[in-house]
Amino acid sequence: MKILLIEDDREAATYLMQALDQAGHVAHHASDGETGFAMASAMEYDVLIIDRMLPRRDGISIIESLRVEGNKTPVLILSALGEVEDRVTGLRSGGDDYLTKPYAFTELLARIEVLARRSTPSEAATSYQVGDLTLDRLSRQVTRAGEKISLQPREYRLLEYLMKYSGQVVTRTMLLENVWDYHFDPQTNVIDVHMSRLRAKIDRGQKKQLLQTIRGAGYMISE
Amino acid sequence: MNSIVKLWRTTTVRLTALFILIFIIFSVGLLGYVGFQTSIEIQRVQAREVNWEVRQLRNLDRRGSLRALIFAVQRLASQPGPGIYYLGNAAGEMIAGNFPDVPSDVLAHPGHYTFSYSPVEAFGRSQRSNRDNPRRSGARRDSDVVPPPPRQAQAVVTSERLDSGLRLVVGRDIVQRRDFTQIIVRTLAYGLGGIVIFSALAGLLTARRVLRRIDTINATTRVIMAGNMSERVPVTRRNDEFDELASGLNDMLDRIEQLMQGLKEVTDNVAHDLKTPLTRLRNRAEAALREGRSDEDHRKALESTIAESDQLIATFNALLLIARIEAGSRTNALSNVNISEVVADICELYGPVIEDAGGMLEEDVEPLIFANANRELLSQALVNLLENAIKYGLKSGNGAPEGPDDAERRTIRVGVRRRGERIHIFVADRGPGIPEADRKRVLERFVRLEKSRTEPGSGLGLSLVSAVARLHRGTFALEDNHPGTHAVISLPEPGEENG
Repeated sequence: MKILLIEDDREAATYLMQALDQAGHVAHHASDGETGFAMASAMEYDVLIIDRMLPRRDGISIIESLRVEGNKTPVLILSALGEVEDRVTGLRSGGDDYLTKPYAFTELLARIEVLARRSTPSEAATSYQVGDLTLDRLSRQVTRAGEKISLQPREYRLLEYLMKYSGQVVTRTMLLENVWDYHFDPQTNVIDVHMSRLRAKIDRGQKKQLLQTIRGAGYMISE
Repeated sequence: MNSIVKLWRTTTVRLTALFILIFIIFSVGLLGYVGFQTSIEIQRVQAREVNWEVRQLRNLDRRGSLRALIFAVQRLASQPGPGIYYLGNAAGEMIAGNFPDVPSDVLAHPGHYTFSYSPVEAFGRSQRSNRDNPRRSGARRDSDVVPPPPRQAQAVVTSERLDSGLRLVVGRDIVQRRDFTQIIVRTLAYGLGGIVIFSALAGLLTARRVLRRIDTINATTRVIMAGNMSERVPVTRRNDEFDELASGLNDMLDRIEQLMQGLKEVTDNVAHDLKTPLTRLRNRAEAALREGRSDEDHRKALESTIAESDQLIATFNALLLIARIEAGSRTNALSNVNISEVVADICELYGPVIEDAGGMLEEDVEPLIFANANRELLSQALVNLLENAIKYGLKSGNGAPEGPDDAERRTIRVGVRRRGERIHIFVADRGPGIPEADRKRVLERFVRLEKSRTEPGSGLGLSLVSAVARLHRGTFALEDNHPGTHAVISLPEPGEENG
């Protein structure tokens, strides 16, 4: 994946560039808003990671200009401002996701991978398939090896989200945000409890376990 | 001098001055009008009197009684007042009257005249010198009329030639009319002078009173600005607008003091409760560097460092959030929200967690309760309460005996209900509860009743709930659930608020 990082903090940028490189991505770096905007409009990237407060030009204005130009590259906004209103401003300007500093690298990685996937056609699919597990989005039916599994509405949405991004790590925070629409971190791991219930419904008694816990990161559904 | 300048600057004095000016203009106008009208009226009355007297005297003359005529003229002439009477023969000799020096023109032609004369004495009008051009009113002789010199009297007369050939002149000295005008002007001057002096005095007194009240307020603010936050503006028992202002200012000062107190608390807390874990973090990293023998040791140390810093970040975020809520940008944060749905959603999220912890969730949600609220913050407050209930409420009191009411003891009730004018959102458990003495204290930042601090937590959970309740113009209270804790967020019904 080709990534552009616009971040003025040299140390944070160096660390992120290294980590992205290790994760197997090609990353470019711009250290101020003007350069970043020029690079983003000149080259094709899969994902842009833009810090909100930048010298010479702030992140929100870069995103707005890109969107006006018709550039639809997914954008992850990084910010020290974590209030709901700040998040709303960020997303309204055309950003696709919002991550508050400080963050774990695994969280950032999971989010940009999901973002890059968003622009692919699988988004609009009417059904998802992982191994012998099928989720039909029209009839809202879930079957494993032809056998119907009955799920609570929330469990259905949880599974839908996981299957939409099958083969990718989704973090607990992402699940809480996208399935429950909460933007705070509870102390106890509520998500783990819900995941173990979901796992009991789809994986219990099966030879192949589809739902995997990725240590230190989150969950992933894959064959 | 300075105080006079200051006094002049006050609104009261300026307003008083303005009102005095307006009053003077109106009074002058009014009195001028009254004077003018009165003088016209007097003129009319005098003209009528003169006509009447002339008619009477003419009648006497017609009856041919010269004695009676003379007697009547003399009687009229002897009365004090502005009357002018002359009865003379054709040769120009006065037979009776009090005005011997009637100009010859007047005597020559009957008609109405106005002429000046010089009164020799103020009182007795026996000797008067005239020699002035009489003016025949209505006649076009104005051009050759010399204006009367000052201090001269003026007479308005009617000259008649009686049937018997005698000359009769009846008239009025209009000096009296001028006197009247003078009286009006004098009254006006005295009255206005008095009024101006009194109003100025009243204005000054009011202004000084107002200034004194304002000076006390200013003095208080100066004391406060000098650093004494506990000072307050004195409120009198008069209950006037100044007292209203003073109590408004005092309320504002209370709020400011409260905010400053909050800020001080936050800095104190940051100093203490964030420095401690930071020190621990540093020590641990240092120890790992010093004593770590294997990669495995280092790895463990790093993992615990990350876990510890995550905890620190969480604490820091909670602290910032509370501070931002308390700083209170209320207006944009709240919208009309279905509270029932918010509570039900959180129940749905936490139901499995409570079951896994060995408890039971009882939902008591009254449907379709709406209020001005922030879903995110309210949800977070509920999560904090639920996590407390799970952490402390489900804990059995040192292995309490299992019994038939065990299920009841392990129930956490969560819900929302209308209670009169208010909306109560509650989380109730049957755990050991919180001692009454600690129920207020536990809402403060970083206060944790658990001395050992074995449970993870920042001691900010309930502070956040309390701040969220205040943001919603509501209250938060911990009550006894007999046994257990009954935590209630009480919000006002949306109708009660403005906006």
